[in-house]
Amino acid sequence: MIFDSYDAFRAANFTAKVCILGSGPAGTTIARKLGAAGIPVVVLEAGSREFSDESQDFYRGTTVGDFYFDLDVTRLRFMGGSSNHWAGWCRVLDKQDFEPKAWAPDTGWPIRRSDIEPYLPEVHDILELPGFRPDVPVSDDIRWVQLIKSPAVRFGEKFADELDKSGNIAVVLNTYATELAGDGKRVTGARLWSNGQDAGAFSADYFIVCTGGLENSRLLLWSNQRSNGGVVPNATALGRYWMEHPTFEGGNAILADYGEFEVDAVNEVFFSPTLAAMERLQIMNFGIRLIETPYPGVKSLIADLACTAPDMAEWMSAKLSQNLRCAAQLYVAWEQAPLASNRIELSTTDVDHAGVPRIELHWKKSELEHRTLLEGLRLFGTTLIEKNLGRVRIADWITNGSDYPTNDETAGHHHMGGTRMGTDVTKSVVDANCKVHGMDNLYVGGSSVFCTSGECNPTTTITALACRLGDHLAKVVAV
Amino acid sequence: MSFFIKKISRRTIVQALIALPALSLFRTLPDADASHADPNRADPTRADLNEIVEINGWILKRSDLA
Repeated sequence: MIFDSYDAFRAANFTAKVCILGSGPAGTTIARKLGAAGIPVVVLEAGSREFSDESQDFYRGTTVGDFYFDLDVTRLRFMGGSSNHWAGWCRVLDKQDFEPKAWAPDTGWPIRRSDIEPYLPEVHDILELPGFRPDVPVSDDIRWVQLIKSPAVRFGEKFADELDKSGNIAVVLNTYATELAGDGKRVTGARLWSNGQDAGAFSADYFIVCTGGLENSRLLLWSNQRSNGGVVPNATALGRYWMEHPTFEGGNAILADYGEFEVDAVNEVFFSPTLAAMERLQIMNFGIRLIETPYPGVKSLIADLACTAPDMAEWMSAKLSQNLRCAAQLYVAWEQAPLASNRIELSTTDVDHAGVPRIELHWKKSELEHRTLLEGLRLFGTTLIEKNLGRVRIADWITNGSDYPTNDETAGHHHMGGTRMGTDVTKSVVDANCKVHGMDNLYVGGSSVFCTSGECNPTTTITALACRLGDHLAKVVAV
Repeated sequence: MSFFIKKISRRTIVQALIALPALSLFRTLPDADASHADPNRADPTRADLNEIVEINGWILKRSDLA
């Protein structure tokens, strides 16, 4: 069932055992799993069926530190959440992304990749993916990895009919949970805001927070402040270890045979480091995406190369005159080191229309990340030489150590961390089952539980974790 | 000498002086006697040609260079 207002939902007298906040990939997936298990669940979605400026305004906030996107632009607040502007790239975090890296503090998950692998067939159905092929080693240092360009499932659109027909799932639109109340052991209820006003309290046996990689922290920080620590009793890490995938054009490559690796649907190809290379150089994971260089860019590369390596320039020139592709732009997205200083705080000066403090995001890239970018491009360049595949030019701003450009991609709109998973309550918020430490009935879904970001887009891993949490909850709630 | 200076512009002389350090890049002629002197020793010139160098941001093999 889908209700367009909280009043309509109340009139239906639907009693839910589980309350899920948010209808994005995590919230919708968990709701479907619980509904299929015969458990009555309500999904509270703050937005409506469509985009609206009024709804987006609740997402405004500020950033401190490195340049970042406006917080009301980098995410979406309506049914289906940020899947509504998802580009569709799919890949699961690498096995090594779950393991601790000795050279990067606070890395490693309390679960392994093998813990989510059993859910991948389900994820493939949900995201409409073909099977992944294994990584292909190009050298001892570089892997050719696959990111599948999927149809970019809009969860609100794809599952609207199914949710509407479900007798166990009630989706309530235009209903914003402004805060949770708790006593340090259990969440006792949620305060709701609907139709521009306070809509009273709502209670359920279990609460699952799936409001997104920024909003999960905001809701829990505010709830904890209002309940004097009654919602997240161990809150040292709450809002901290926030991560993105910084993404910048890192240079160019000239390629002997451009078509050699071209298999992805949009003619893009991705490379990542091997674990051995990361260990040797003590760098983070990264992905280098090759995109064909436009004609003027190739000419400029030829001119640049002519003074240094004239034979190579002549070869490129010959390729160009035959209209053959021979150059690519290298876009690099990399894993951020998890740092407690990258954090979500509540604004002390600005609140939304419901009176909830807006987000103040503190985000800065570290020296380790600049080294990852530089050494990553060097590794790739060295591999192309060793395998006689081509040559790489690293962008000047990287070799000079200049500031990051502000007119580049900047990041992936991937919001991770803030309620990270772990066993140490001073460095994590949820346990291996995504349950908030110390709370009996409060869980978190989505990329805010990520301990590390890896190099790939998070939606596939979010969906796999949601399937796992859905199965876990179905067992817990049924007891 | 004064005749030479009059015939060639000052600009050309400065350009020639700037180019001098780069001339070493062209001097990759192998030492003909080196491998005969010690057959167990690898040819240092060949090793240098495969060396990976970074010039103006380009990651190149030494043999790519002008």
